[in-house]
Amino acid sequence: MIRHAALYARLVGARGRGQMQYRLSFATLVLASVLVTLAEFLVVVVIFGRIPHLAGWSLGEVAVLYGLSAISFAMAEMFAAGFDVFPRQIVQGTFDRVLTRPLGAFFQVLASELALRKIGKVAQGAAILVYAQHSLAVHWSPERLVVLALTVVSGTAIFFSLIVICATSCFWTVQANEAVNVLTNGGTAMISYPLDIYHAWLRRLATFVVPLAFVSYYPALYVLDRADPLGLPAWVGFLSPVAAAAFGFLAWTVWSVGVRHYQGTGS
Amino acid sequence: MSTRLYWEIGKRAFQRQLAYRTANLAGLFTNACFGYLRGSVFIALYQTERSIGGYDVSAAVTFTWVTQALIMVVFLWGWWDVEETIRTGDVVSDLAKPFSYLGFWLARDYGRALYHLLFRCCPILLIGEVMFGLRWPTSPVTWAALALSLTLAVAISFAWRFTLNLTAFWTTDARGIGGLASILSTLLCGLLVPLPYFPDTVRRVVEALPFAGILQIPADVFLERVTGAGLLLALGQQALWAGVMLGATQLLVMAATRRVVVQGG
Repeated sequence: MIRHAALYARLVGARGRGQMQYRLSFATLVLASVLVTLAEFLVVVVIFGRIPHLAGWSLGEVAVLYGLSAISFAMAEMFAAGFDVFPRQIVQGTFDRVLTRPLGAFFQVLASELALRKIGKVAQGAAILVYAQHSLAVHWSPERLVVLALTVVSGTAIFFSLIVICATSCFWTVQANEAVNVLTNGGTAMISYPLDIYHAWLRRLATFVVPLAFVSYYPALYVLDRADPLGLPAWVGFLSPVAAAAFGFLAWTVWSVGVRHYQGTGS
Repeated sequence: MSTRLYWEIGKRAFQRQLAYRTANLAGLFTNACFGYLRGSVFIALYQTERSIGGYDVSAAVTFTWVTQALIMVVFLWGWWDVEETIRTGDVVSDLAKPFSYLGFWLARDYGRALYHLLFRCCPILLIGEVMFGLRWPTSPVTWAALALSLTLAVAISFAWRFTLNLTAFWTTDARGIGGLASILSTLLCGLLVPLPYFPDTVRRVVEALPFAGILQIPADVFLERVTGAGLLLALGQQALWAGVMLGATQLLVMAATRRVVVQGG
């Protein structure tokens, strides 16, 4: 474990230094990652300029959803960047080389990349949360702060697992990549708004199959002291770590099956 | 220069797209998912309001699906075909050919846009109709105006994308700069939210910018929100920006061409 951690720091450190060689490029990428989130949130602000409430939620309350999903997704993207470029390894056949090295394939893909540029998006998400906190009259009790912190960690783990599962689909087909990415990009877009505006089947999907509802919606209901319009008890807001663990286990299983199934591209 | 040549170039570009069937299917799935999600958000907005910025709920939902359907027709993100030829040096052979460099790429883009109109835009509108029920144009005049509006929309978006690509003649980080610029165009073209939703003072400015001609105006034509004199004015605004931007792009091509030095060997 310690050996792996040291190795991870070393490999990722090299990637980091590599990214810093192109300072201007890096700065542009960070700026772009900040501006995308800002532009998307600006749209929410524009909408709330026209209407006071969205399905009973105020701007500050939607901002909590926005901030939580932005931070979790950006952190997951940062750490799972290796799985983002992993399809290319499959196509080019370089994954064969990974399999011959005396280290787990999962670890090697994980340590192959760290997208430091996503730090801009994380900061942006945090800023939106701070903004939300200012416009809301929420008392920040220790329980609430603990739930919030656990939610960010669990949310990151849920998105991380999702990215791994999406990447694993490449063991079977490399053509469905864009369709698979809908789960992550579409998922973030979905959980940035109160989940009760969607049809029941989609809410169930986001609760029981791909547990994105635990990244923002259920914890936000607890933190904001809102009753679930669908009648779920308040303690569902504490379940994010459980959902993250279960989904993480699923991702690991899918990945293992994929690696065992892999036979190389041949040509 | 013979129009026949550009016709053939466009035809080839259309045929080339036919090879990417699986990619198009994946894209259809993506656009449909976002159409559904955004449609749901807009329906929620209208729980308490009858009309926002002049759109009622069915107009807003239709607007969402029309803009999703048009994303690839106007190729909103990630078109770096020209930048790639500049980076690899292949641009030299294109510049040496005896036709207009701008015309060559414009013809290719129209061929590609026609493909996406048939195989991306139309299916997405049908999916939107099945899932939400859309408000379709009622008059044949609207369809004719829509065809013209889309032709101009592709010209405007092409000029914008082409300009971003051409910056590669001066900088090695064209994609980074282009990425920043396309955040601006995404926000101001009407994809994320109809421009009349913006506060009134901001709205007047953004509606006059060329980006409005990329998605906002074609979608409003589809919805018959602009008719009669208003329609002529909207199409006129698109034509004006298309002309100005293509003209500016041609000047940029000339400036860039002077920079090109071919190393022999």
